[in-house]
Amino acid sequence: MAFDQSLIGKEFEATQPVAVTAEAIGAFCRALGEESGSYGWPGPDGAVIAPPSFAVTFRNTDAFFHYTPRFGRGFDAGKEVEFIAPIRAGDEITLTSTVREMYEKTGRSGTMTFVILRSTLRNQRGETVAHVDHRFVHRNPGQGE
Amino acid sequence: MSAAGGKRFAAVEIGDALGPHEIVIDKARAREYASVCGMDSGRFHDDEAARAEGLPGIIIPGNFSLGLLSKLVTDWLSAGRGRLKRIGTTYRAMVFPERRLSLHGFVTHVEPESRSVEIDVWIENEDAERLVIGTATAEFPPGD
Repeated sequence: MAFDQSLIGKEFEATQPVAVTAEAIGAFCRALGEESGSYGWPGPDGAVIAPPSFAVTFRNTDAFFHYTPRFGRGFDAGKEVEFIAPIRAGDEITLTSTVREMYEKTGRSGTMTFVILRSTLRNQRGETVAHVDHRFVHRNPGQGE
Repeated sequence: MSAAGGKRFAAVEIGDALGPHEIVIDKARAREYASVCGMDSGRFHDDEAARAEGLPGIIIPGNFSLGLLSKLVTDWLSAGRGRLKRIGTTYRAMVFPERRLSLHGFVTHVEPESRSVEIDVWIENEDAERLVIGTATAEFPPGD
């Protein structure tokens, strides 16, 4: 399965800013089972602080999916997240994403294509709050679908 | 532990265990997590939709697994000044709701210069199969 190598390094359009609310952080904490008291409550600056993994809830624009291979059944194969600064209620988070790698692997179940997409999350002050490397895997058509 | 109840760097040793913590995520909670995160794929919400994709039923989002393992580390750090700096996860197998899962962690490296700690983290099922594996880095500020 050939894929367009020119996509590597391509930066997709930034998302519209997403306003982070205390309510959204609270709902996330409840769903996660976060009860430690360290998150979901006001920090020293008075703003409600989100658990670190809240960083993976921000979505890429559809532009990414228009360019990258969409064949067979796709899955999230894993993530690498660097937490640089806490995300707080009142923040407005924007993502920009770049294709870092695309490669194929062949195993017992056939050939799969991996796409590594790096998303950088910035707040309204332009400060980077996290990097998220998404590892998507697609099983190529006709192979174990 | 510090007076405030948080983990201190000086108290961390290679081999320290995080957990295990046993949990069962029911379907309602799996759906709730997916909804809160805007993950609208049928595979996270509806058994029929999941079966149409060749799955036995709804699955727990990978992000949820990452969140649970992140929480394992932040709970271990507790209210101290140490923080979760990084986590990487690999989803080796589907994680299904209504099954007994256990969350595990194990300190593999302590780096005095950077005051950081490397931790292996994973989620096991009842058969001790590691469904999700990963590594995390926690760092502590000077003097903690």
